[in-house]
Amino acid sequence: MRKAALFLGGTAVAAIVAVAAWQRPSTAQTPPAAAVAGKAVVLTAADSAALKGPRQPIFFRHDIHAGQYQIQCQYCHYSAAVSSEPGVPSMQTCMGCHLLVGGSDSANQKEIAKVRESWNTKKPVEWVRVHWVARHVHFPHQRHIKAMGPTACATCHGDVARMPQVYKVNNINNMGWCINCHLERKVNRDCTACHY
Amino acid sequence: MADERKTIDRRRFLTVLGTTGAGAAVLSGCTTEKVEKLIPYLVQSEDQVPGVPTWYASTCTECGAGCGLHVRTREGRAVKLEGNPEHPVNRGALCALGQSSLQALYNPARLKGPMAKQGGAWKAITWDEAIATLAQKVGAAAGQVAVLSGAPRGTFGTLLGEFAGAAGGKVVRWQPFDLEPLREANRRTFGRDEVPAHDFAKAKYILSFGADFLDTWGPLVENQRGFAASHGFAQGGMARHVYVAPRAALTGLNADEWLGCAPGAEAAVALAMAHVVVQQKGGPAELASALAAHTPEAAEKASGIPAAVIERVAKEFAAAGPGLAVAGGISSQHAGATELCAAVNLLNYAAGNIGQTVLFGADLDHGDGYGAVAALAKDMAAGQVQVLLVHEANPVYALPAKAGFGAALAKVPFKVSTALVLDETAAQCDLLLPNLHALERWDDANPRAGLWGLNQPVMEPVTPGMHTGDVLLKAAQKAGGAFAKLSAADFQAYLKAAWAGRTGGEAGWRAALAKGGDYGAAPAAAAVKLASAQVAGDLPALEGSGDFVLVPHATRNLYDGRGTNRPWLLENPDPVTKITWHAWVELHPDAAAKLNVREGEILRLTTAHGTIEAPAYIYPGLRPDTVSVPLGWGHTEYGEYAKGRGANVLDLLGAPAGGFVAYVSQKVQVERTRGYRKVAKTEGTPRQLGRGIAEAMPLAYAAKGYTVEEAAKAAGHPPHEINTERELDAIAGWRKGQVGEEDGKGRRLGNYAGEHPMWGMAVDLSRCTGCSACVTACYAENNIPWVGEDQVLRGRELSWMRIERYWEGGTDGEPVEARFVPVMCQHCDNAPCEPVCPVYAAYHTPDGLNGQVYNRCVGTRYCGNNCPYKVRYFNWHAFAKAAFVEPLNLQLNPDVVVRARGVMEKCTFCVHRIRGAQHTAKLEDRPLADGDVVTACQQACPSGAITFGDMNDPSSRVRAAKQDRRGYHILEEINVRPAVTYLAKVRHVEPAEHAASGGGEHH
Repeated sequence: MRKAALFLGGTAVAAIVAVAAWQRPSTAQTPPAAAVAGKAVVLTAADSAALKGPRQPIFFRHDIHAGQYQIQCQYCHYSAAVSSEPGVPSMQTCMGCHLLVGGSDSANQKEIAKVRESWNTKKPVEWVRVHWVARHVHFPHQRHIKAMGPTACATCHGDVARMPQVYKVNNINNMGWCINCHLERKVNRDCTACHY
Repeated sequence: MADERKTIDRRRFLTVLGTTGAGAAVLSGCTTEKVEKLIPYLVQSEDQVPGVPTWYASTCTECGAGCGLHVRTREGRAVKLEGNPEHPVNRGALCALGQSSLQALYNPARLKGPMAKQGGAWKAITWDEAIATLAQKVGAAAGQVAVLSGAPRGTFGTLLGEFAGAAGGKVVRWQPFDLEPLREANRRTFGRDEVPAHDFAKAKYILSFGADFLDTWGPLVENQRGFAASHGFAQGGMARHVYVAPRAALTGLNADEWLGCAPGAEAAVALAMAHVVVQQKGGPAELASALAAHTPEAAEKASGIPAAVIERVAKEFAAAGPGLAVAGGISSQHAGATELCAAVNLLNYAAGNIGQTVLFGADLDHGDGYGAVAALAKDMAAGQVQVLLVHEANPVYALPAKAGFGAALAKVPFKVSTALVLDETAAQCDLLLPNLHALERWDDANPRAGLWGLNQPVMEPVTPGMHTGDVLLKAAQKAGGAFAKLSAADFQAYLKAAWAGRTGGEAGWRAALAKGGDYGAAPAAAAVKLASAQVAGDLPALEGSGDFVLVPHATRNLYDGRGTNRPWLLENPDPVTKITWHAWVELHPDAAAKLNVREGEILRLTTAHGTIEAPAYIYPGLRPDTVSVPLGWGHTEYGEYAKGRGANVLDLLGAPAGGFVAYVSQKVQVERTRGYRKVAKTEGTPRQLGRGIAEAMPLAYAAKGYTVEEAAKAAGHPPHEINTERELDAIAGWRKGQVGEEDGKGRRLGNYAGEHPMWGMAVDLSRCTGCSACVTACYAENNIPWVGEDQVLRGRELSWMRIERYWEGGTDGEPVEARFVPVMCQHCDNAPCEPVCPVYAAYHTPDGLNGQVYNRCVGTRYCGNNCPYKVRYFNWHAFAKAAFVEPLNLQLNPDVVVRARGVMEKCTFCVHRIRGAQHTAKLEDRPLADGDVVTACQQACPSGAITFGDMNDPSSRVRAAKQDRRGYHILEEINVRPAVTYLAKVRHVEPAEHAASGGGEHH
């Protein structure tokens, strides 16, 4: 499948041009229902269907956690600065707060109840993955945080702090996305930096 | 987004793109995979960071050597085994068998839980039922309980002993390669029933009488490390190694001289040598008189080795000091094996090696020997054993059928096996209690005096097994009575209690766990006295009337047959024959000519005890009056990889008469059948044909610091391939223009400009023994799929690293010589593969690697065709999919992508390790240091033959190694400028002899 894509990528020039136009990095797209920073609007899980990005088993609001409450990315994504993998917070991390924090309105309370149930039944939530690169790509998160600082996440992931539901802002699966930045910053663009 | 993630096949993809504009949208996602889930931990383990390996220290249980391990785990599963650098036995290296322990851990044939045989069929039961049954049966056995255990000496053995003792029974400890003759001889000669340590590193002259110390004899990694230290060329000298045996095993191929001794006559040769040594150096009168009759002339008669040679070798051995003589390998285990070991004891004693290189007091772990098993079998056959527990032993397979263990087993009413997979012995049992794998359980081992290795669980069990220690303790608690003293809560507590005296408190215990055990200093060599010089050097009688003597041999990969269920070891070519996946019969070229047999012809071997069939392999390292067959094949159980593969040579043997299995005991009838099969070997051309691939030079030249060219010139040979004047001009011009050789800086443009490391490797052929540990390490590290017998036959194996073996000599009465060359991608500066790639998948990285971008590769195979070293391998099929079946896929290294069908792949110089080290260095704000990057092959090599590093770093070890005078490049004349430098092998030959013989490689 991948090879078919590559093969076509090499031949279907017209398609490529169209693609390139489509995937030009967009700066801070404002999601339709996102709030201004500071106070997140009230949304229910039913509203999430209208939002961009895949629906998650729990309507987890990055805009509330990272936006309204200003929780640092690495509080939950704990290994981003030391490992290739950013780390998905364990249910214990969620419960660290949500043992006490029950939610300010009924919509949130409903979602937080799901977290607590997951903890009590010892069944971790199965999040739908939004960002991933193909298996032949090795993206070392730690090198990027080291070079660009702990708030560099938004460069690829977009302004998650303003997203009620996370979606793929930038087409990180297209190598051009990586290369553009590496060219601008005059850093390594050797193939085996990532492909091995 | 949702649409983009639907799996669509190639055809549909083409259709969509070709017919609709929507194709662009599909392409843009570039994610045609299924919806991926992120499943978090409930509770994050503190010592696991995703993406960062966690290392555990442990102990290898594959053979009795007890090497120390460092287990690399990722996200809670073991992905690689490496040697523990602190461990005194292996010092960081690990053999192929030890590394393949992972494939025992993740073996698809592992039993899923306890099972009971009911009406001839296996029925899954619960652990509670199983333990209750065991307790009940043991309680009702009225003392007629026996345990047959292959477990190492250690705390678990103590528990087994206590359990059996409480049941009124006994434990018999046994390993198939138990070195019984060596112990018996030591008891006789020195009054010590012990396997001593042998210091190969200290020996200046190594004499081996069939002890294949680089194949299966003793602690292999330690032997090899020592051998490389003494026999590897350094500071102008090296030890000499002479191998006396009917068959030159890998050990013999690494000898400077192989003396093809008649089977059984090794003792006569050893005695004659001792005779000469005593004449030279003197010795006790008792010794002199015992040896008086054993003259070299008498030995010549028995062995076929000229008396003059025996005398010369003996004199050299006496003069070398300290030397080391060893004996007692499988291929010299005949009825006279004890006499042989005793003779070698006298030789060592006469030469003054006892206490120097033969170190008594080390007390290497060993079992009770075959004698004890035979006694147990006799009791079993007589109905005196009601319950038998078989633990880590497979006697039904590993003993000759005629030994009657299987028949005796049938007489035992209740048999229990703790095997992890259903082996031949377990298949005959009534209750299966699958143990945990050594990487999943608490355990320890005491492989020699003063050395204790620990095992700790490095991951959750792959299948729901139970630690046999826990099973025994639970059964004991259930049985009560005499068992009541076994009151430990579980085996971990039992083990910890046993270690309390050794480590003190909790801190000491934790320190021991972190280190891998208690690696105390080796005890001082015990002083030993000659107890008896009596040795009969008679030729042992052989059974039968065939034309050939049957010499079974054990191979480095399969060992006693325990390796046969692991695809890594089946695909890793046998170091001697280069055969994969099936058994064979070795025949000397003369014998083959006489019988008119060609390679691959199926031969039928018949003795009074049985018949086996296997394809012929013509092997010059064998006496013409013998045939040799490897052990380890012909399993009838033991999982799908092993089952029904090849024939078991033990079927040709009779019932062992003495306290050990006499493997060499039969004369065998060799018949041709009309059958033929192509031998699945990875050997290309067995000779170098003047290509100068595996260079060697005499010691005298190496000591003078000659280069390979100077050595050839001194020996009167022209360089092996001469470039024409035009070519030389072209090469010089290229070097000037492309490499900027005149200013020594080299030309760097674009992406290549700037400071980069320049990765390079050096391989010292005077240290490499061809053992192939690196090959398995490479498979394990780089997710290389095995392709199986059929595909090997088509030459489609994917061995990124291979050991080439070339024959030299062997014609016109010249001795045969083997040369081993590990060949991996040479990462040429001027790589021929790169310019021919139409999609730039093969290209040169700024840091001097020959990169291969799998996701670019479209599989034209131009690069493979253009590679002069043939190190590029093509995925003809979805090999990975076929190979890495559940749960073997859990071993895959997450740092390396699994290649798909249609992709060219090859050695990367472990680029993921380079990048990993660079990441770490960057995070720590420091430059990369020499030694930060260790390739998988380099890490595994017991000989320390491989050096890797940055060639631009003037202080790097690889740079120093590359400046060695012996350095050369393979196929230098084609000007591809490889990054791998080989250091020529050094041989103990007289330069004149070298010249007269045509110089091997220089025709």
